[in-house]
Amino acid sequence: MDPECSRLLPALCAVLADPGQPVADDTCLEKLLDWFTAVTEAGSSLLLLQENPCLVELLFHVLKSQDLSSRILSFSLRLAGIFAAQENCFQYLQGELLPMLFGEVGPLGGAAWTAPAVRSGWIQGLRTLAQHPSALRFLAACGAVDTIFSLQGDPSLFVASAAGQLLVHILDLAMRGPAEGHRSPQACDWPACAQKIVGHIEDSLCSTAVPQVTQALSVLTTAFGHCHGLWTQGLWVRLSPLVARLLEKDPVPASHSLVDLLLSVARSAPSSYRGLWETLAQTLSHLSPTQAGPLALGILKLQDCPQALRTQAFGILLQPLACVLEAAAQAPGPPGLLEGAAGNSMTVDTLLSSKSACVGLLCCALAHLGLLQPLPQRPSPWPQAPLLGAAVTILRLCSGSAAPTSDVGSRLCAILVGCGRVQRAALDFLGALSQGTGPQELVTQVFSVLLEYLVSPESSSMSWMPVGHFQRLLPRKNEVRCSLSPCIPSPSYTPGRGRGQAGQLTPGPAAPLFPLQVLKKAFQATLRWLLSSPKTPGCCDLDPHTQLFLRELLPVLQKRLCSPCWEVRDSGLEFLTQMTRHWGGQAGFRQALLASEVPELTKQLLRDPESYVRASAVTATGQLSSWGLCATPAGHECPGAQQESLLVELLHILSTDSEGFPRRAVMQVFTEWLRDGHADVAEDAEQFVAGALQAASRDLDWEVRAQGLELALVFLEQLLGQRGSHCPYAVALPETAPPGVLAQALQVLCRVQLFEFAFRALFDCDRPVAQKSCDLLLFLRAKAAPCGSPQEAGDSPNVASVEATLQRWQAGEQGQPLGYLEPGAVVALLRSVDLEGLRDTLAESSDHVEKSPQSLLQDMLAAVGVLGENEADCY
Amino acid sequence: MPEIRVTPLGAGQDVGRSCILVSIAGKNVMLDCGMHMGFSDDRRFPDFSYITRSGRLTDFLDCVIISHFHLDHCGALPYFSEMVGYDGPIYMTQPTQAICPILLEDYRKIAVDKKGEANFFTSQMIKDCMKKVVAVHLHQTVQVDDELEIKAYYAGHVLGAAMFQIKVGSESVVYTGDYNMTPDRHLGAAWIDKCRPNLLITESTYATTIRDSKRCRERDFLKKVHETVERGGKVLIPVFALGRAQELCILLETFWERMDLKAPIYFSTGLTEKANHYYKLFIPWTNQKIRKTFVQRNMFEFKHVKAFDRAFADSPGPMVVFATPGMLHAGQSLQIFRKWAGNEKNMVIMPGYCVQGTVGHKILSGQRKLEMEGRQVLEVKMQVEYMSFSAHADAKGIMQLVGQAEPENVLLVHGEAKKMEFLKQKIEQEFRVSCYMPANGETVTLPTSPSIPVGISLGLLKRELAQGLLPDSKKPRLLHGTLIMKDSNFRLVSSEQALKELGLAEHQLRFTCRVHLHDTRKEQETAVRVYSHLKSVLKDHCVQHLPDGSVTVESILIQAAAHSEDPGTKVLLVSWTYQDEELGSYLTSLLKKGLPQAS
Repeated sequence: MDPECSRLLPALCAVLADPGQPVADDTCLEKLLDWFTAVTEAGSSLLLLQENPCLVELLFHVLKSQDLSSRILSFSLRLAGIFAAQENCFQYLQGELLPMLFGEVGPLGGAAWTAPAVRSGWIQGLRTLAQHPSALRFLAACGAVDTIFSLQGDPSLFVASAAGQLLVHILDLAMRGPAEGHRSPQACDWPACAQKIVGHIEDSLCSTAVPQVTQALSVLTTAFGHCHGLWTQGLWVRLSPLVARLLEKDPVPASHSLVDLLLSVARSAPSSYRGLWETLAQTLSHLSPTQAGPLALGILKLQDCPQALRTQAFGILLQPLACVLEAAAQAPGPPGLLEGAAGNSMTVDTLLSSKSACVGLLCCALAHLGLLQPLPQRPSPWPQAPLLGAAVTILRLCSGSAAPTSDVGSRLCAILVGCGRVQRAALDFLGALSQGTGPQELVTQVFSVLLEYLVSPESSSMSWMPVGHFQRLLPRKNEVRCSLSPCIPSPSYTPGRGRGQAGQLTPGPAAPLFPLQVLKKAFQATLRWLLSSPKTPGCCDLDPHTQLFLRELLPVLQKRLCSPCWEVRDSGLEFLTQMTRHWGGQAGFRQALLASEVPELTKQLLRDPESYVRASAVTATGQLSSWGLCATPAGHECPGAQQESLLVELLHILSTDSEGFPRRAVMQVFTEWLRDGHADVAEDAEQFVAGALQAASRDLDWEVRAQGLELALVFLEQLLGQRGSHCPYAVALPETAPPGVLAQALQVLCRVQLFEFAFRALFDCDRPVAQKSCDLLLFLRAKAAPCGSPQEAGDSPNVASVEATLQRWQAGEQGQPLGYLEPGAVVALLRSVDLEGLRDTLAESSDHVEKSPQSLLQDMLAAVGVLGENEADCY
Repeated sequence: MPEIRVTPLGAGQDVGRSCILVSIAGKNVMLDCGMHMGFSDDRRFPDFSYITRSGRLTDFLDCVIISHFHLDHCGALPYFSEMVGYDGPIYMTQPTQAICPILLEDYRKIAVDKKGEANFFTSQMIKDCMKKVVAVHLHQTVQVDDELEIKAYYAGHVLGAAMFQIKVGSESVVYTGDYNMTPDRHLGAAWIDKCRPNLLITESTYATTIRDSKRCRERDFLKKVHETVERGGKVLIPVFALGRAQELCILLETFWERMDLKAPIYFSTGLTEKANHYYKLFIPWTNQKIRKTFVQRNMFEFKHVKAFDRAFADSPGPMVVFATPGMLHAGQSLQIFRKWAGNEKNMVIMPGYCVQGTVGHKILSGQRKLEMEGRQVLEVKMQVEYMSFSAHADAKGIMQLVGQAEPENVLLVHGEAKKMEFLKQKIEQEFRVSCYMPANGETVTLPTSPSIPVGISLGLLKRELAQGLLPDSKKPRLLHGTLIMKDSNFRLVSSEQALKELGLAEHQLRFTCRVHLHDTRKEQETAVRVYSHLKSVLKDHCVQHLPDGSVTVESILIQAAAHSEDPGTKVLLVSWTYQDEELGSYLTSLLKKGLPQAS
């Protein structure tokens, strides 16, 4: 322990023991325990106590004191546990202190026990302490195990959960003893402590009270999840009949916990546990469809599992979708999801029993199948086509565009129409299915339903758009509904009216549920489908269907960019950016995009009242421009003049926008442009970099300045060659640049005033900026190694004055500029500044001083008596 | 038994990372999702593993409600929605939705500054989280789903702060978040109608305090700033981006105007425009005075408050600077503090609470020699002042709100256990309601008896009135009718109307009884004897002898038959309707006594 901390400790213990001195901040005691844990992990606890007797005195004092706060008592119990985790220290404390703290004479029997914090401290203390056989004997002797049993049903979730975990820990400790290797799997030979715990679990499993069954199952789940000794097999042999007996009850008690247990056993080493597969199969058939879903998913995720069980599990997940498909079928169609099993009456009953049951079951099934889809162990063959059909059908039932004729179908339609939760889940699932292929007819239906969702969730109209191929695929009912809706403003409508008006879309009692979220999911799913679209063989362009879809999609996107909701405009722009990034070079995409008003609208959104939208518009415009797709009045690909105006516009945003997000986005676009050799940037990169850095250096947002350094680094690399490592905080040893190149490069860097920017950033008040700048300068110094001797430039008056300025900057006075620097002076400066030292200082987080144990102790001591001055209220 | 369950994951007997789970009529709602700034590891967030155990988060939780933009109420939201995986709806007011990202970015900066980017949520995550928000208006009933509805009420405290009523059927809970019952310079007082919820969950920060008038604190603040500036000193006020800072700006602006002071007032990192923008946008959320004068002069368009540039800190002469972050964690406020700390003419005013582990906490506890990086020691000679401008209801205010809402039960959160204990007793005594104060992780379960509203038909009421008894609200009356459930509604109607509405045919319920008479005569003769007897006894009733030999008295039918085994005994079959139950019973007992001997 640090001598200074050791010096402060007695005073602190005195404060803690004084009931009249409440502790200043509720986090202090936690941090103190963290520190003691670290100290005891690094050295001997016994020595610590011997060198700091105040600690044991504190524990004794706590026991005697009647009016100590529950927080201090809880702290003391946990502290004692930390010390007693080492066996010799345990022996040292065992005589009097530990029985008094953890035995019946301690807080356990007193009024303090009513405080959950004390019960929690008691459990945590024992949990930390129970690390050796002596602790086990102590627990048995003081009757702690019985108390832990009762705490499993504690009204505090935290206490109850910790009690269960402690039981498992004790069981494991008892079984891990010296005889571990020879321990018989036969439970009857186990140590008394383990027998007691297992007996308790048995009793609980047989109980008619569901909470007790739940507790037992949770303990077992933790045991099989965390303990891997041979004894767990014996445990399973002994308890599995009781677990199986739970399945005979109707309804199955604590089904959620039962599923957790079975999966925990199956995940650990399933082949070691006799009868496990049978129990799993039995459970699948006994649980309701909703309860069985998570178990089915868990089984299908297992690496090694009998095929019959997998088939049964997959059937459970498919059932709800099969029912939907069957219910919605107009006429006998292609083979369904589950031949012969589609009409499982239990699933149909659940689906139709109530809206919440139906929504819950469908959402779970969709989510589970979505999780399964990308896994290598997913069932094979994977019924991609029927699943696609089911997802499309569900989405149509939700949107009201499907009109099933069967009774079940009509009922489902009535339940699902307008249901946001199912819509979101189905769109997520549909997105996940984009990873597989499907028959063209179905893919067309997917695009059609996605288009329907992109158009419709916001109670808007399609009447202003010509009806296209994909929209013609929509059922007639939908077209009628759309034609009755009011017209939306024309595409030339000024986008965005800001947040002040956005509230008009807030759903009232009759409004659709979360349309924005549904729309966002529709965008995400569409993007996934588009990006996974196959390319025409032998051609680098899009396939005709995607091409056709794009043509219908862009007017919809155009409309979304005019939405009065900032969230919609923003999602639209993000969608456009992704699409352009992926397809910017494809002729079909370029053609469709340029024929639309999307580029022009995107540019208009640079002046959106919402800063998030402006930022997304900057990114989208930057991306469009990179591919030569920015807006032109004639709809042609842009000539240089247009491009120039965009650069000016972005620079204007960088210098004037009052919000950080758009400015950050501009710097990112500039960096990307420079990195990718954007034609117009490459024309005069020097001027471009100088302009960007000048604007960034004045910026109040630390991320803009940090991004400025990123841009500077790209520029440096282009001039001097790549860095060895891509890790931004690791400075590799780059090869030095040839002297001729270097001299020229330094001239350029001086002209763009990169050094002024970097040195200013080196002393930035925000650490990440300073750190980035330090890395950049170190890189530059390594590259500049061969350039001149230190004496050559170092003695010039120019360098001396610059050094003086830098010192003032370091002291926080950054008013004075550096002025123009000669390359020689720069090299000299790079050598004279202790960059390594600075890097080390910056690498230590800026709060390492305030977070140090010494600082913590000082704070706790200093807070004595001045508590009222800084009372927790809010922040 | 229906019940309401409340489990605080944070704010249960403490202040910091408010997060309260409420289960009401099968719906699960999370109230606030705050963070604790005193921790820099995962403990800063509520332990969500207790929710994820119940299955998929989005399936378990029906919605999340955020009361206001302070980080101890919304700081964990992007973590919860973008990292833990909650994908459902989040409700908050419009100003909260607009200002939340600014505060979250503000704190993200501190977190990244200290531990690096990997440690925290990203800007993109904040934005994605905000896109999941559904903005609510004051007093607008928002239907979360078919059964769950929420309604926001004005809470004062900070711009956009709201109390929320959560209602499922007839059961309701009101959550106050943080609130203030007295108006201040820029905000009004909290208000709620007499909604009589089953449970009121109220903050209790100042549970035992009767706070002095805010005017006194304001006067004190102005006096100290003025004195410092007059003696040529500089005043640093570390603040978070939005909230308290604007209130203090209005205060200084008005004072500067009145006193004609020339010393500059600066506000760092472009926050003046930002604040101005939001306050202008949400002017209806401010207090009456600001709203009234807004047309002539926007109080947030400051004449004296200018944007700060880093170079200004070195300028000679007096000045006042508002700089972020608020607890002198890092960044600009800390940098300015370091520059000015050595001069005793200067002053730092901490306008709010500082967590341990910050320079703000150190200087407030009186430490004057601070160790900085590289073993440097910074001697703090400048004056250090603490003035809490936080706007919470004090004990009187909390009692006032309980009186206003008239809840059946009260539950205290966001306060210290000892203070809560005091307030709990006071509430129980004064309002005769149960008051709870669960610790974090403890569940309070309240049984409820949901009242099911039943409509009554006008016809039935009129019929009741026709009986001549005028209704009296104090005297309960028994009313017979048929309860029907149609279109998920309950209605009490007359049985005729019920039959008509439900398209059912009426069924007759008849009671029957056999009475054995010793009579050797033929059945027809026995019937005649019965008729004569009844005719003589029941003079007020219509007694008839029908051609088929049966006798009727009103709806009662009597038929005589021979006994199958005993020819000397006749069996009288008596049957009557439910309506003539009384007469039927009387007749049976009369006949059981036997017939009078023939004269």
